[in-house]
Amino acid sequence: MASFVTAKRSPLFPIILILVLILALFPIYWILVTSFKTPIENILPKPTLFPQKFTLENYQKIISGGPIRNLLNSVFVTAASTLVSLGLGFLAAYALVRYKFPLKLNIVFLVWIILAKMLPPVVLAVPLYDMFAKMKLLNNLWGLILVFQVYTLPYCIWMLFGFVKSLPLEFEEAAEIDGASRFQILRLIALPLVRTGLAATAIFCIIVAWDEFLFTMLFIRSPDLLTLPLVIANYIGEFETLWGQLMGIGMLATLPIIVFARVVYRQMTSAYSLGLK
Amino acid sequence: MKLAGHMRGKTLFFWSIFAPALVVMIWLTVYPMISVLITSFQNYDYISGARSWVGIQNFVDLLKDDLFLASFRNTLVYCLAATAIEVILGIVLALIFYGSFKGKSFFMILVIMPMMLSTMVVSSVWKTLYHYDIGLLNTTLAALGLGRVGWLIDPKLALWSLILVDVWQWTPFAFIVAQAGLSSIPQEIFEAAVVDGATYRQRLFRITLPIMRDQIFLLCLLRTIDTFKIFSKVFALTRGGPGNATETTSFFIYREAFQYFKFGRSSAASMITLAAVVAVSVIYLRKMLKTEEA
Repeated sequence: MASFVTAKRSPLFPIILILVLILALFPIYWILVTSFKTPIENILPKPTLFPQKFTLENYQKIISGGPIRNLLNSVFVTAASTLVSLGLGFLAAYALVRYKFPLKLNIVFLVWIILAKMLPPVVLAVPLYDMFAKMKLLNNLWGLILVFQVYTLPYCIWMLFGFVKSLPLEFEEAAEIDGASRFQILRLIALPLVRTGLAATAIFCIIVAWDEFLFTMLFIRSPDLLTLPLVIANYIGEFETLWGQLMGIGMLATLPIIVFARVVYRQMTSAYSLGLK
Repeated sequence: MKLAGHMRGKTLFFWSIFAPALVVMIWLTVYPMISVLITSFQNYDYISGARSWVGIQNFVDLLKDDLFLASFRNTLVYCLAATAIEVILGIVLALIFYGSFKGKSFFMILVIMPMMLSTMVVSSVWKTLYHYDIGLLNTTLAALGLGRVGWLIDPKLALWSLILVDVWQWTPFAFIVAQAGLSSIPQEIFEAAVVDGATYRQRLFRITLPIMRDQIFLLCLLRTIDTFKIFSKVFALTRGGPGNATETTSFFIYREAFQYFKFGRSSAASMITLAAVVAVSVIYLRKMLKTEEA
């Protein structure tokens, strides 16, 4: 294989590179071509690698049908739950870094949050279902935004805790001496400094919320309130081989997220570097 | 006097910005966990709302229930196999693609695409690829003169087909983490080793992997935690079938509660799952708190 140090690489290198790309991207290519094939072409006993007859029929059906509405639901619920989590998460992270709460609450809370993040969400489903039923929050997008906090809030607090912790104290101390109120310090000094951290956290939050399936399935009844993952799941169940439309909806669910790939790559590369100097 | 007021203001300020998140977390996670704990010792009839105490009966029943045990075993197989394959492949890829080459970051961005897709999209495309009669995998096998494979309908294979989907989706994550770690090891270390005459294998097993030990550990943990929750892939691809070949604990809990309305049993199964999660996380937390203190 390639040497560890020098730029000398085995002649196999480009072949392996292309092979890895094909393995990673072929299913995505398949989503794309399937969405441009006619329904008949999609159930041929021998699948075709390129559409024989390129058609926009599937997309026309999607646009005239419900999925656009479901796309908007997904966008709304994802955006709102991300905003709520960022707001609550930033305030909590700031408090946890800058203030020592009694009874070791700081550490207890952070440990609990990790536990909550590790727990399969279905474990919480029954009591949450009962509670949301009593509060008339079932079959309601606002209820969904709330319940998504189970996933996104621990995530935000944990990530923002790291970002706030790395902020230098000097600016805040200087502002305090100059007579700024605590709220001013928070809003005018800490918030701008942690901006890139907030952006990174937001993107990971968006990916998590966009993908959510379980609680949406349990809490939403009306088809016009469903989010895209549910529409896809229903399609898989009901129309065994309407693959063109299914993949078209898949493209709808993919395009808004895939634009973040670059940021995700950068962020993860810096987050998972070893702390070696 | 002024100082006391200052302290009180400080306390009030930090409590008031912490309170919203604290309340939401208690309301959405602490309270439900307590409720599940209580219900796991009860027989809870949803229609009448009547609850009666049954002690540890739910737990005893579950541990004798073949379906629950099968679901636990399936979850473990899925979790361990997927994690091991992903982490090993990720490290191998990071080693192959170590160092810089033309277009590397573009290559990396393309390669991480699978983990950017939502699970339902991933499941739906694999469902078409796995289709027994007209799926691309089987028609290709048939064209090559090989037999068709019952990817999702053969009880011996279905769980492994799910694992393959997870491996496709999440190996990029292992790759990106491993390569971030690998590329932050200073090159001088390898250069010195080369000068000293270390072979490739020696450099790998004596230098690289030991340096990356903590990171590989973290990677294993993150993937274990995530694969342990597996639900939506099962829902979309097999619904636990064929038979109960792909039934997982999450799916078992869901069915007991929302299809059979056996809340006592589902709560007991939840508590057993929680115990497993806590057991794993203790290892993790210990390590994490240690580095936090250092």
